[in-house]
Amino acid sequence: MSDHVDGPRQIGDPPSDCTDLFAFTSPENPAHTVVAANVFPSAGVTAMFSNAIKHSIVIRRMTVAGVGNAAKFTPGDKEYRFSCQFSVLEHGTDSKPVQRGTLTCPDGQVLHFVVNDENGASTPDGTFRVFAGLRSDPFFLAWIVRDLKKFPNLLQHDNVLAIVIEFDTQRVLNPSEGSLFGAIAETSPLSGTASPIGHEPPRFDWVGRPEQTNMRLNNPALEGTDDVRDLWNQQTPFAMAEEIKPLFRKRLKDSLTNWDMRDGKADWSPDALDAAVNVYLDDFMLFDVSKPMSDTSYFEIEKSTLRGKPYATGGGRTVDANVVDMMITWMVNDDKEFMQGGATSATKPGMKTFPYEASPNTELQTVADSVDLAASPDQVWALIGQFGGMWHPLIASVKLTGKGVGQLRTIETIDGKQIIERLEAEDNSQRLYRYTNVSGLGVVDYTGTFDLKPKGSGSSVEWRVQFLADNQATLIVRTIVATLMKTGFEALTKRFGALK
Amino acid sequence: MIEAPEIDLIYPLTDGNIAVNNLESARRHSWSRFWRDPLRPGIAECIVEQEQLTAPFVGDMGALDRLDSLVQCLDRVEAESPRTTLIRAQIASMGHRFAEAKRYLDEIGAWGELSEDANRLSLSIDHACGIDLEAALEARRWMAAKSRRLEDLVPLAALHADLREFDEADRIYQCALREYQGTSPFAVAWVCFQLGVLWGELIPEAQSSRAEYWYQKAIEYLPCYVKARVHLAEIYLRHGRVKEAEALLLAAIPSGDPEVHWRLADVLAQRGRFADAEAQMQIARSGFEALLEKHVLAFADHGAEFYSGSGNDDRRAFELASINLVNRPTLRAFEQAYEAAVAAGESERAAKIVAAAEHRWGATNAFRFSQLARTYGDKPASERSTA
Repeated sequence: MSDHVDGPRQIGDPPSDCTDLFAFTSPENPAHTVVAANVFPSAGVTAMFSNAIKHSIVIRRMTVAGVGNAAKFTPGDKEYRFSCQFSVLEHGTDSKPVQRGTLTCPDGQVLHFVVNDENGASTPDGTFRVFAGLRSDPFFLAWIVRDLKKFPNLLQHDNVLAIVIEFDTQRVLNPSEGSLFGAIAETSPLSGTASPIGHEPPRFDWVGRPEQTNMRLNNPALEGTDDVRDLWNQQTPFAMAEEIKPLFRKRLKDSLTNWDMRDGKADWSPDALDAAVNVYLDDFMLFDVSKPMSDTSYFEIEKSTLRGKPYATGGGRTVDANVVDMMITWMVNDDKEFMQGGATSATKPGMKTFPYEASPNTELQTVADSVDLAASPDQVWALIGQFGGMWHPLIASVKLTGKGVGQLRTIETIDGKQIIERLEAEDNSQRLYRYTNVSGLGVVDYTGTFDLKPKGSGSSVEWRVQFLADNQATLIVRTIVATLMKTGFEALTKRFGALK
Repeated sequence: MIEAPEIDLIYPLTDGNIAVNNLESARRHSWSRFWRDPLRPGIAECIVEQEQLTAPFVGDMGALDRLDSLVQCLDRVEAESPRTTLIRAQIASMGHRFAEAKRYLDEIGAWGELSEDANRLSLSIDHACGIDLEAALEARRWMAAKSRRLEDLVPLAALHADLREFDEADRIYQCALREYQGTSPFAVAWVCFQLGVLWGELIPEAQSSRAEYWYQKAIEYLPCYVKARVHLAEIYLRHGRVKEAEALLLAAIPSGDPEVHWRLADVLAQRGRFADAEAQMQIARSGFEALLEKHVLAFADHGAEFYSGSGNDDRRAFELASINLVNRPTLRAFEQAYEAAVAAGESERAAKIVAAAEHRWGATNAFRFSQLARTYGDKPASERSTA
């Protein structure tokens, strides 16, 4: 999952876990560049940054030092470093905790901001702007990677903590000296701490290109290999020690060979594979501020250079780029046929205005109830297992449209309301079906599940609903749903009797 | 005087309030994800990990109930799988239902080789039940030497502590602190707490100031650490520092942990506020009974301790200590059951407990440090044969 949960050390304190890095031209102002780093996979709705971690996005000017199978990108020495630090929690006026942060810009200017303030903070001259706070996770992964099986987005409804920095490209990067750049994001300990003798305090995590750690270095289809992700995360970006490179080179080669053969065909020549390994070993996000960056330009700079051609786009990575499918396609069949996973977008699309990453997902509400009935599972399922079944006392009529998964039921309630629901999954052998609400309840993301299991001499029905209220109070929807359940279960108990 | 060394951590830690805020919020999010799709890869395991942090550190005893509901749900959707069975085993172990947990591990073994997680759990259960501790020690030593990680060093230290090798336990706990390379305060606070227990409760002659130092450190790293607050309050109470004890406990009341109310009752009694003390004692009593009703094995030893102390019901204490002893016949469980039997006037059963302890533990070094060894040695030879 991009760089999510990519080592045991990140799992201990998830705010240290870098999940993604983005670099793109500002949709609001083409003269500006945006870099964004996300941390804390699956963050809860009140998540905050660690006060013990420094978050940095580092940019270096790059040169193309070789093409074709000798493809190589060499970083310059000058570093453009953006560093964020965060405070302990303070009491807010509405009893919610407040966290403050500071951004130190490459020119030494310091910006002070409040976490989750969507306006962020800007320097007086407008050169820099920053936002930090909870956002909907823009990353999506819709494959079971080990088996390369399509799957719904594994990060659906997830949030992350994002740091979004926008800056004046001309003033900060001076592209006249070269417009190609490489970026990384890292989390590291605060300075001034007792580090192991002879070592700089290592970083906790860093990210350049997506999925360097989880899908390439730790390719789940490679059996019996050691997890080298923590070791990778402690290497110095842009300047990895030569003595450690052979270890990672071998792992990347094994991994890319495995990826190439996932479709049973070898699409990569050994030389081309070696060249790709060398490019991946230098892990940074390449972007060229003089060329257009779009949702499809990710990795184009590397690919074109490996193919011996001049690159045509600005590369980079936008918030909405489908990087996993692009990457899998390239690794598995060298871009011969696009491999689309089980989802085409993240939970929410990015925004065209600052801070570009979509607003966070609200926590879904759950209402659940169950009833134990004195009838066999088959008897009960014969009644309630039909998606178009008429057993609920509050329902006046049900009309079905279509067949199987995807069919719609239009329910008329006894008080004249119309509710439309869609069958999402059914398993009669497990006596389970799942449906979503299309309209009529004032909700979004409404999923209901009926699940019937044998219990003693009878059966047990569980009805679980998750939803977000839409333009009405959550309490009202909860009450409606709970009443639906209670009334339905009372009717079932009356019909079949309660299990003693 | 503080005899403990300063902690020399490699990195500063995330503030405890941030860490708890993030844990709670991530835990709620995980549950939401789980209910949406219980089979989502990794989600059930993530919840188990988060609830295992929530129970001891936040003092949220509802964690066990929530985990039971997780198992019920997995049983409905994926009953027959090694994954569900391992989760069942983890949750059974967390509730001290060790025999049940072992059965699940046996089931997993029948499917194939035990995973690293399953092996670790099996070792933890053996340790908790006092089974083949020498073999467990060897395995723990090997794992700790291989990884040098805190999560392997701490169980090794705890095992040494249970074998009454206190200095070695202390050395390894401190090594765990020095080796820790993360920023999470949970792990560090946990080690500090263990060191507090080591010097305050496990050694035959408690070193209160040393224990106090470690409990204070645990609370410094994690202000909400309810167990550390309770244990530190006990030390303060013993030394007449009633106001400090009260302040510690008042802040822990929202956790709902009955031990907080129990110790607060002791504080209030010392301050002469007997009616308030009795009210707190009632809350503690009903809190313990509610927990015991649902999770008797998880709380039998704590319940026995409560009823042996100001809970003031020696028979109930003995009943609970006996349940705990059957469940996990560790040397400490024998000691607790023996004391409870004596207090309840069950001298014959007390003698049997001593004999059984000698039978099981007599050959160990740990037994020689135990008060049970002295009790056993004082008995006439005719009474020693009751094992």
